[in-house]
Amino acid sequence: MLAYVIRRLLYGAVVVLGVLLFLFVLFFTVTDPDDVARRALGEKALPEVIEQWKANHGYDKPLWPWQAERATESLLYDHFRRMLSFDFGRSDADDAPIAERIRRGMGPSLSLTVPLFVLGLGVGLALSLFVAFFRETYIDRMGVFLCVLGMSVSILLYIVGGQYAIGKLLRWFPISGFDFTPELLPRFLALPLVVGLAAGFGSDVRFYRTVFLEETNRDYVRTARAKGCGEGRIMWGHVLRNAMIPILTHTVLAIPFLFTGALLLESFFGIPGLGAITVDAIQGNDFSTLRTMVYIGSLLFILGQILTDVSYSLADPRVRLG
Amino acid sequence: MRRAAARVLVALGAALAACSNDPYPGADAERKVFYTSFAEPPKTLDPAISYTTNEHAILGNIYDTLLEYHYLKRPYTLIPGLATSVPSAEPRGGGRVAYRFELRPGVLFQEDPCFERFAPGARTREVRAADVAFQLARIADPAVNSPVVEPFSNLVGFRELGKALAERRESDPAFALLPRHEQYPALGGIEGVRVLGETSLEIVLAAPYPQILYWFAMQFTAPVPWEAVAHYDGEDGRDFFADHPVGAGPYRLAVYDKYARIVLERHPSWYGALHPEWRAPGATYPGEGEPGDAAAGRLDPGYVGGPLPFLERVEFRREKESIPAFNKFLQGYYDASGIIRESFDKVVREDRLSPEMAALGMQLEKSVIPAVYYIGFNMDDPVVGRAGGERGRKLRQAMSLVIDAQEYTRLFTNGRGVPAQSPLPPGIFGYDEAYRNPWRAVDLERARRLLVQAGYPHGVDPTTQAPLRLSFDTPDTSARGLLTFQFFVDAWRKLGIDVEISATNYNQFQEKVRNGAYQIFQWGWVADYPDPENFFFLLWSEMARSKSGGPNTANFSDPRFDALFLAMKSREGDAERLRSIREMTALLESERPWIELIHPEEYALYHGWLRNVKPAGMSYPTIKYRDLDAARRAELRAVWNEPVRWPAFALAAVGVAIVVPGVATFLRERQ
Amino acid sequence: MQAWLISNLVAGALFAGGIALGVAVRRNRLWREATGELARRRPVALGVIALFVGVALLDSVAWVGGVEAGEDVVAVLEAQSVIDRAFLGFQEKSYSAPFASAEFYGGARLAHPGRHPLGTDILGRDVLYLTLKGARVALLIGGLTSLITIPLALLFGVSAGYFGGRIDDVVFFVMSTLASMPGLLLLIALIMAMGRSTLSVCIALAVTGWVGFCRLARGETLKLRELDYVQAARALGVSEPRIILRHILPNLMHLVVVTFVLMFSGLVLSEAILSWLGIGVDGSWGQMIDRARDELSRDPIIWWNLSAAGAALFVLLLAVNFVGDAVRDILDPRTLRENL
Repeated sequence: MLAYVIRRLLYGAVVVLGVLLFLFVLFFTVTDPDDVARRALGEKALPEVIEQWKANHGYDKPLWPWQAERATESLLYDHFRRMLSFDFGRSDADDAPIAERIRRGMGPSLSLTVPLFVLGLGVGLALSLFVAFFRETYIDRMGVFLCVLGMSVSILLYIVGGQYAIGKLLRWFPISGFDFTPELLPRFLALPLVVGLAAGFGSDVRFYRTVFLEETNRDYVRTARAKGCGEGRIMWGHVLRNAMIPILTHTVLAIPFLFTGALLLESFFGIPGLGAITVDAIQGNDFSTLRTMVYIGSLLFILGQILTDVSYSLADPRVRLG
Repeated sequence: MRRAAARVLVALGAALAACSNDPYPGADAERKVFYTSFAEPPKTLDPAISYTTNEHAILGNIYDTLLEYHYLKRPYTLIPGLATSVPSAEPRGGGRVAYRFELRPGVLFQEDPCFERFAPGARTREVRAADVAFQLARIADPAVNSPVVEPFSNLVGFRELGKALAERRESDPAFALLPRHEQYPALGGIEGVRVLGETSLEIVLAAPYPQILYWFAMQFTAPVPWEAVAHYDGEDGRDFFADHPVGAGPYRLAVYDKYARIVLERHPSWYGALHPEWRAPGATYPGEGEPGDAAAGRLDPGYVGGPLPFLERVEFRREKESIPAFNKFLQGYYDASGIIRESFDKVVREDRLSPEMAALGMQLEKSVIPAVYYIGFNMDDPVVGRAGGERGRKLRQAMSLVIDAQEYTRLFTNGRGVPAQSPLPPGIFGYDEAYRNPWRAVDLERARRLLVQAGYPHGVDPTTQAPLRLSFDTPDTSARGLLTFQFFVDAWRKLGIDVEISATNYNQFQEKVRNGAYQIFQWGWVADYPDPENFFFLLWSEMARSKSGGPNTANFSDPRFDALFLAMKSREGDAERLRSIREMTALLESERPWIELIHPEEYALYHGWLRNVKPAGMSYPTIKYRDLDAARRAELRAVWNEPVRWPAFALAAVGVAIVVPGVATFLRERQ
Repeated sequence: MQAWLISNLVAGALFAGGIALGVAVRRNRLWREATGELARRRPVALGVIALFVGVALLDSVAWVGGVEAGEDVVAVLEAQSVIDRAFLGFQEKSYSAPFASAEFYGGARLAHPGRHPLGTDILGRDVLYLTLKGARVALLIGGLTSLITIPLALLFGVSAGYFGGRIDDVVFFVMSTLASMPGLLLLIALIMAMGRSTLSVCIALAVTGWVGFCRLARGETLKLRELDYVQAARALGVSEPRIILRHILPNLMHLVVVTFVLMFSGLVLSEAILSWLGIGVDGSWGQMIDRARDELSRDPIIWWNLSAAGAALFVLLLAVNFVGDAVRDILDPRTLRENL
C-alpha cells in the first residue's frame, strides 16, 4: 500500500515537471521577453531601461542550460527553481507581487466557488433524483429536454441575460461588485450564484440522471422492490448511496478548480478573485501571472487526482494497484 | 479558511432574508462620499511616469502642483497652486529665459510613516523648493523612464544630467547603490534648476518655450518628498513608490486595492484646511467663470469663496464592463458617468437631456475635448507614403475623400463631436471655425478620378491586375473596434481598394510599428495643454516614430513644415504665429499624412444631488470643487430601487403547476 | 493557391466524402440499421443539422465574376460564395428593425425596405446574412478541430493501448500533463503564443481536446486486444498493422462518431468565450454575440442582433445535442458514460 502511495506521488511529481517544461516552452521560447518588457514600459523605453527591467524580472539570462556558462545561470533552471519553491516573482504588467495577489484573490474566489459547488451538487442531485423518480413520465421527458436546452446556451448569454433581467429590470440584487463584509457579501454573491447554477445545471442534472437510471436497473433494486420496499425508500436508501461513487469521482476532480475561480463569472460580476486576476492577466499580456495561474491550477489538479486514487484504493479492494 | 467558510454560511442565510441591490454599507448612505468608477487598474501612481487620464483622475487629488487651471474659466487660464503667483518669463543672456517660482511657506506633505525613518518622530514635513528640483531630476533620470523627457529638454542641463547619471552608474558601482536623492546632487543636479532658498526656485530654459508653464500645472512636476522615494523601494515588504503616493494635495490615498477599489480621504492638514485665511486660489471656490456657469448653478453664492474641499471621501470602484457601470449609475449608485454609446438615445434627445432622464433630476454637461482622432498613413511605406511620390499623394487624397466623418460620428459617437478639418480642435489658438478642408468633404466621383490619375483605375493595381491591397493595422481586437474599422474599409471598397484589417495583439502590433511594417492606422491624441504646439508636434520630423520613437506615427517629414513648426513653437499668440499655423494647415491639407476624423465632444451626466460639476478637457484636479447632497441621494436611491417581487411568486407558481399534476398522476398509477 | 479555391476544393471533397460515407453506411448492415434508427428517432434535429451543413456548403462554394455589387467595387473582382451572391448590394446605412422600411434611428428610408427579415446591424449589414455566414464558421471550428483531434487521438490511443510498454508510458505521461492544466487557460495561453487566426484557434482547441478521446480509445483498445478473435489473429501470425486496421479500428468507429457529435457543441461554446476575450474566430456567432451584448442597453432596445446569433447557436447546438444523445443510446449505451 505504502509503495503504491509513494509511486503515485512520484508519478505526480514527474507530471508537475512536465507541466513546467510545457509552460517554459510556451512562455519563454515562443514569446520574446523583449516584447514583454516593451509592453510594460512603453514603446519609448531606452535599451538600458529594458535591460534593467529584464534583470529585475529575471528575464536576462540565456534560455537553456547549455547556452549558459553554468547550468544554474539559465532561464530554464530559474523557472523550475522559482516555481517549485513557490517564488512567483512580480507581475510583468505592473510589478505587483504575484503571490500576494493570489493570497488576496483566494478569499473572494472561494466565497463564490464553494457555495456554487455545494449548491450545484445539492440542487443537481435533488433535481436529478426527482426526475429519475418520475422516469418515463412527462416530468422526466421535460426535465431532459430542459437540460439539453440549458446546455445549448452560451454562458455569455446567461450572464448578460441575468444581469439585465434580475439586476436591471427586477432590481433584486446589485448588478455587479463585491465586498467582504457580512452585511454586503450575500447581496453580491446572489446574482453570480443564480447565474452560475443556471449555466451549470443542464449537463450536471443530465449526467446524474443517467447514473441514477443505471443504478435503478440493477438487481438489488429489483430485489428490494420484490421485498416490498417503497419506491421512495429505494431511491433515497439504495440508489442514492450506490450512485454516489461515480458521482463523486466526477465531482472530486472539479474541486481543484474551485481555487482558480470562475473565470467569466468573476470577471463580469466584478469579483476580485483568482479568475478575475487571470482575465486581467490575459487582457494585459501579463505572462508571469498567467503562467503562475496555470501552474497552480495543474498542481491542485494533480494533488486532487492523487488523493482520489489513493482513497479509492483504500476504500475499494477491487481497484487494481498500479 | 474557517473564517471564510463561516462567513459564507452567514452570507447564505442572510441572502434569503435581505433582498436589496444597494452595493454600499448602510452606514455611508448619509455621508458626503463621492462614488465613481474606473475600468483599467492604474499601472503606476508615480507622478513622474503616470501619463493616462484615469491615473491622473486619482493622482491629481493627491499631488498638488505649483500651478493649476482655473476651474471655471475658458479658455483655460493658469492660476497659482502651491506657488504664490504665476511667474513670467525673464530673458537672460544668450537667448535663455528664466522663470522664478515662489512657493507658499508652511505647506505640509500628507502624514506618512516614511518620514519617521529619516527623522525620528516626524510624521510629515514642509514642502520645499528642493522637492520640486528633486522631482525634475527624477524626470531626467533614465532609470525612472519618464514619458515626458522631451518637453523638459529645454531646461539647461536637463539631458546632461540624464547622461551623466547613466555613465556614472555604469562606471562606479558604489555610486549606483547610493539612494537617488544623493545621486542627483552629487552630479550637480540640473544646471537650469536652481534652488534659491527654502521656498524659492528658478528654472532656466535654453530657448523660449512659453508652454513650459503648462507643465507646472501637471502632476509630473509636483513636489515629491525624497523620503517617500527612498523608503518605498519594494524591499522587505515595503510598497513600491508607484503604489504609495505621498503628496501635498487635498486628498490622501486611504485604500489602494487597485484591481477593485481605490479610496481617497480628506487630508486634514492640507494647506487649504490649515490656512483658510490665505484664501489661496487653489483652495477657494472661484467667484467668476465663463458665461453660462451661473445659469448652471456653478456660481452659487453658498459656495463662492468657500474653503475647499467639500467632499469627505472619494470611492473609485472597478467596473470592467461599461453596461453594468452605467446601469448602476442609473440606479443612483454612481454620482456621475460618461454616456456610453449604447445608452445615448435613452439619455439624450435632440441634443438635450431626454424627458425621462430630466424627470429623474439628472443634468447634462457638454464640452469639446481638446483632442483629435485621425486615420494616419505611414509615410515611410512605398505605396501610400512619401516614396509613392505624386501617385502616393493622389492615393491618400482619394482615400481621404470617401471617409465620411459626419456619418462616422452619427454611427459611432451618436453625433457627439465635430468633424475635424485639421489637427487643431476648437478652443485652441489658431482654430478657424470657417475653415473647410477640401479633401475632407465626401466626393466619390472626384476620388475615382484621382485614383485614375494615380494609376489605379477603379482601384486596380496595374502590377497585379487585382484590386490594390492595403492593410489597416491595429492592436484593437475588440468586437467594437473591428466594427469601426469595417466602416472605413467599406468606404474604401467603393473606390475599389481592398483594405484588410490586420488586428493583432499588442506585442505583434508594436513589433510592426518598430519595423515600420504598417500602412494605415487609427490614432487619437488628447492635448497635454491648450496650445497648438501640442498638436502640430505630432507631425514634426524630429518626433517621427521611425527616427526617434516619437509620437509622429505617420513618420511625416517635410522641411518646410519643420521650419514653420519651430517658428511657431517659441512664439506667443501673435499674427506671425497665426500665419505659420495657416501655412502648416495648408501643407497638411494637400499632403494628407492624416485623414482627420473628429474632435470628440464629452457629455458628462450627473445626478441632481451633485453640485459644481464642470467637464474638464485637460486632466487636472476637479473633485475638490464638487459637493453633493447625501440626504437627497439616499432618498432617491430608495425610491428608484424598490425591487419587483411578483416574478418570484409567478415563477414558483408555474413550477408547482407543472410538477403537481405529474406527481399526482404518478402516485395514482402506482397505487 | 487562393483561399476561395481551397475552400471550393474542400467543399467538393466534403460533399464527395459525404456521398462515399453514405454508400459505405448502406453497405454495412450494422451502420445501416443504426442510421435508420437515428432517422426514426430524431428526424427534426437531423433536418436542422442538414440545413446548417447545406448553408455552410453553399457559403464555401465561391467563384469570381457575374455579380452586381452596387457601391462595393471590390466585390465584383473578388470570389463570392452562393450566400454572398444572394445578399450582395443589400447594404443599408445603419440599424433597421426586422422587415422595417425605415432606419431605426432617424427614420431615413431604407434602400431595400422590408427586405431584411432579421434587420440590419450598426453598419447596415443584413443580420440574416451575417447569421448564415456564421454557420460555416461554426462548422469549420467543430469540423476542422475534430479533423485534427480524432486521428491524433486514435493514433496515440490505439498504439498506447495495443503496444503498451514504453509507448504507453510516454502517451500516458503526455496525456496526464495536458489534462492537468486548466483547459480554458491552456487554450488561451496557446492562442496568445501562436497568434490569432482561425487555424491557431482550431489547433489550440485540438491540443486541449484530444486527451479525453485518447484516453477512451486507449481503454477500449486495451479491452479489444484481449478479445479471443484478436488473440487468434495474432496466433495465426497476422501482422500487427493489419490487426489494428482490420480488428481494432473498426470496433472503435462507434466511439469516433459519438465523440465527434458530443465534442462539437463544447467546441462551439468554447469559441464564444474566446470571442469575448478578443481571440475568437472572425465572423463567428460568438463574435456577433460579443458585439451585440452592449446593444441591450440601447433604448429602444436593439434585440435582433443578439437574438439572431444566440438563436442560431442555440438551435444548432440543441439539434446536435439531441442527435448526440440518440447516437450514444443507439451505438453504445454503456462504455461512454463514465468518460464523457
